[in-house]
Amino acid sequence: MNPRDEELVASAQSGDRWAFEELVERHKHKAYHIAFDFARDREEAKDLSQEAFLKAFTNLKNFDGRSSFYTWFYRILVNLCLDYKRRQKRAPADEFDETVEHQVEPSQEPRMPRSPDQHVLAGQISRQVGVALQALPPKQRTAFILKNHQGLSIKEIAETMQTAEGTVKVHLHRAVTSLRQRLAEFA
Amino acid sequence: MAVQNNPLSTPCKAFEEDLVLFHYGDLHGSERDALQSHVSACAACADYLKELGQLLPLTVKADEPGQTFWDDYSRELRHKLDAAAEKRTWWQNIAIIFQPRVLSAVAGAAVVVVALAVTLGRGLWPTTDVPRDDAAMMEALPVAENLEFFKAMDVLDDLDLLESMGSQGAA
Repeated sequence: MNPRDEELVASAQSGDRWAFEELVERHKHKAYHIAFDFARDREEAKDLSQEAFLKAFTNLKNFDGRSSFYTWFYRILVNLCLDYKRRQKRAPADEFDETVEHQVEPSQEPRMPRSPDQHVLAGQISRQVGVALQALPPKQRTAFILKNHQGLSIKEIAETMQTAEGTVKVHLHRAVTSLRQRLAEFA
Repeated sequence: MAVQNNPLSTPCKAFEEDLVLFHYGDLHGSERDALQSHVSACAACADYLKELGQLLPLTVKADEPGQTFWDDYSRELRHKLDAAAEKRTWWQNIAIIFQPRVLSAVAGAAVVVVALAVTLGRGLWPTTDVPRDDAAMMEALPVAENLEFFKAMDVLDDLDLLESMGSQGAA
């Protein structure tokens, strides 16, 4: 039987490296995808999610178990992603989508080949979405990504963002309204 | 899909927030029932829900890296964890010294060592104090060097005495 996260955390806190590596294996996919949703760049997403694991590793002694490891870890990750976005603010918002297009591995290409028109349109949407997401205030963007991209519940988002569920709902609604206006042409 | 320029639908203000939650399946119980019955009667809110269903999935950029990526990811992270653990050990060793209990024990031991060194080492260490005999010699030497001078001074004292006696006799 696989040990629960709490058991692995307890072992890792007493110096068991294997236990921490097991936690990494469990959460690395989701961590990477959250980071990718913020960064929209494969290398950046890898670095951000790995940095979050390192931070969790060095601060594991401070984890008191009041929340789940999952919530605690994703809070670290989201904060790193928001810091990354703050640093990126000066860079042109539409640059990252081009790199994403080139990063898709051959095995992950869509099965149906796109026509040139479809390819252009997909690129256009991707750029526009990138700009629209970038324009959202950090809390709205976080609530939106965790809900829309990651499918977290309102309660989980509230715990991750350390805020009230009602506040998350407001952020989410405002984010959706703003994105809807910016992406109206694709409706 | 083609780019369109459809005007956005305007949902009822009172239901707008709930419509977003409904879209994500986060509306439950009586609230959900109330919204469903409203949407079935309100074309604007129904259009709004339809729009959300079309637009929001477009914002998701899926990225599914292959197994090679994940193998590299784990290996790279393991190296980083090794480096972090090494760094932490080094810091921990330094930090142990600065823990209050250890620090006070080290300070106490240092005081005892200094006290013992002062007490026991007094007789062993060379001092700059001059020995008593040498000191006497040092005092006597300048006097010895100026002995002639002091003798001359004695003669002068004798002359003074003779002079005063002479003057008394004359009187």
